[in-house]
Amino acid sequence: MNTRKALVSGLALCAALATSASAETEMGIVVKIGGIPWFNAMEQGILERAEELGVSAEMIGPTSADPALQVRAIEDLIARGVDVIGVVPNDEAALEPVLTKARDAGIVVIAHEGPGLDNVDWNFELASAKGFGEAHAELLCANAEKPGSYAVYVGSLTVPLHNAWADAGVAWMGENCPELTLVGERYGVAESVDDSRSTTLDLIAANEDLRGILAFGSQGPIGAGRAIDERRLTGQVHVMGPFSPGQGRQLVQDGVIAGGYMWNPAEAGRVFVTLGNMLVEGAEVAEGTEIEGLGVVSPDAETRNIITDNLLEINADTVDGLAEQGL
Amino acid sequence: MRKLLSSHTVEARLFAVLLLMVVGLSLATDTFLTVANLTSLLNNNSVNLIWAVGLLVVLVAGGIDISFAVAASVVQYLTAQILGYVGGGNWVLGFLIAGSIGLGLGLINAALIHGFKIVSIVITIATFNAFFGLLMFFTKGRSIYTLPDWWVDRIFLFEYQSASGVWSELHLSVAVMVACLVATAFFINRTTTGRQLYAFGDNPEGARRAGINIALMQAIAFGWCGLMAGIGGLMQVNIAKEVVPNALYGRELDVLAAVVLGGARLGGGKGTVFGCVLGVLFVAITQNGLNLLGVSPFAFQMIIGATILVAISTSNVKIDLSSWFKPKSGQQSRRVDQ
Repeated sequence: MNTRKALVSGLALCAALATSASAETEMGIVVKIGGIPWFNAMEQGILERAEELGVSAEMIGPTSADPALQVRAIEDLIARGVDVIGVVPNDEAALEPVLTKARDAGIVVIAHEGPGLDNVDWNFELASAKGFGEAHAELLCANAEKPGSYAVYVGSLTVPLHNAWADAGVAWMGENCPELTLVGERYGVAESVDDSRSTTLDLIAANEDLRGILAFGSQGPIGAGRAIDERRLTGQVHVMGPFSPGQGRQLVQDGVIAGGYMWNPAEAGRVFVTLGNMLVEGAEVAEGTEIEGLGVVSPDAETRNIITDNLLEINADTVDGLAEQGL
Repeated sequence: MRKLLSSHTVEARLFAVLLLMVVGLSLATDTFLTVANLTSLLNNNSVNLIWAVGLLVVLVAGGIDISFAVAASVVQYLTAQILGYVGGGNWVLGFLIAGSIGLGLGLINAALIHGFKIVSIVITIATFNAFFGLLMFFTKGRSIYTLPDWWVDRIFLFEYQSASGVWSELHLSVAVMVACLVATAFFINRTTTGRQLYAFGDNPEGARRAGINIALMQAIAFGWCGLMAGIGGLMQVNIAKEVVPNALYGRELDVLAAVVLGGARLGGGKGTVFGCVLGVLFVAITQNGLNLLGVSPFAFQMIIGATILVAISTSNVKIDLSSWFKPKSGQQSRRVDQ
């Protein structure tokens, strides 16, 4: 199996080498896993932007979300002598040694969704935990009839990112929207359509003044939306949260899901190439630098993080376009 | 009466506890004993109940099946593909396709268990992984959201709007669940084959010597479980309105716990459909009650676990007491090896 994989990637490398011109800037971006809609969209962004800038860039998606496969892919890129390596890490700690090796070889290293990585030139994020949670809370406050109550769902009570979103959202609600009160802390049901559906039915039964559900976790908005549709409370109870546009399309159009935010993987792909090209050309990233796709940034030189809030709203107008991209 | 109680101690005990919970929740909340809440409890648990009676037949026959929930996912995917291929279909075709694929997957389990003479838990853990692995490989984890209209449209058996404007309704899945319950109860209680399953589960060697066809027993038990997995999978799509490859992963343990709680013995030869219903409802009402009472979700797992533990251990205390009334040789030793 491993030999075969090595052979296949070897062949792919030869093909790539044969086609790329020698002087051109070369980039390789290793993502978590290949073949899923999220990273297909990212690949599209990478290829488009590379063509616009006249550089050569390719995305490498391992067959499974395995840090060891990412390490091997990065080693191949180092051996090939590319100018830029981009990575969306599966496991930050597992990548540190090979990224050190890449930087020692003079290669620019850029990461996305890897805020804890040390051996990178820059890590960029299109959404901050605080901004993401607050954006959803604002949406809730704008839609829900007041006074009333709302509930918060997370993927599980132990998922750090979801709970950070929930913390930010709840804090914002407390300060800016006190007429809506939180019921029952938070429910760890949002990775399952069935669980979030039956919890929503229970909460509707228990709280007559329930006006909204802030659902973090990919299945939460869908399950909660189905329950509200079932109880025929569309327009009285609103759901918001991040979800897959293809999955939630109908519910958004029916007005059950008020909306949600995500970040655009295609945009992340474009930023990889833009930022990589800038760094190869010797540009510095500092306070106030404008980077296409990220806007004016304020990087943290200490942790090497560039955190921005470039959220993409999913609503009745945008959902079809996003679903068509296969997201 | 005492005979009925002593032969169905677990069921009687659980029934009493359940009754207490229902009375308690009706007094503690004004939302539990409402048409809307009771109908949604039935709607939400119909699929679990369909699977529970399928698993019951396997447990009665002395086996165990870990693979049925994942098998139901496989059924959903293949059914969606076949329906897409024939261009739509209808409920009859849906039941035929889902039922036969489920049956087929169950028969694979039976053939492996009988053919290689390996205990069912090992085989079904293997097929659990094989089914799930193949599903993930061929689907690449992709979900299907566009399904035929007849499959995802809600069919109401009953709808009612209360004075305060709250809608309650019963879905098609509840009717299918009742049909599966009745069919299973009739099959295991009233047919010769059904009684042979109990005999086989209680004492396989004795059953074999009495001339019962062992291969047939395995095929019927696992085939029935597969059939129910398929029908449950079909109905789950009607509720969730989508096919997600890993949506049912892990449900097998919830169902297994509920069935065993309802008095089915892991060693075989014991278990009733009524017990299954009680077991599933017990877990469901506990969860529903916690939500209605507004208990912190952080405490849910702890309370549900503790309730199951109390229910199971007290039902064993009762068994020991009842065996004092009618001391029977052999009964004690059988309890020990379960």
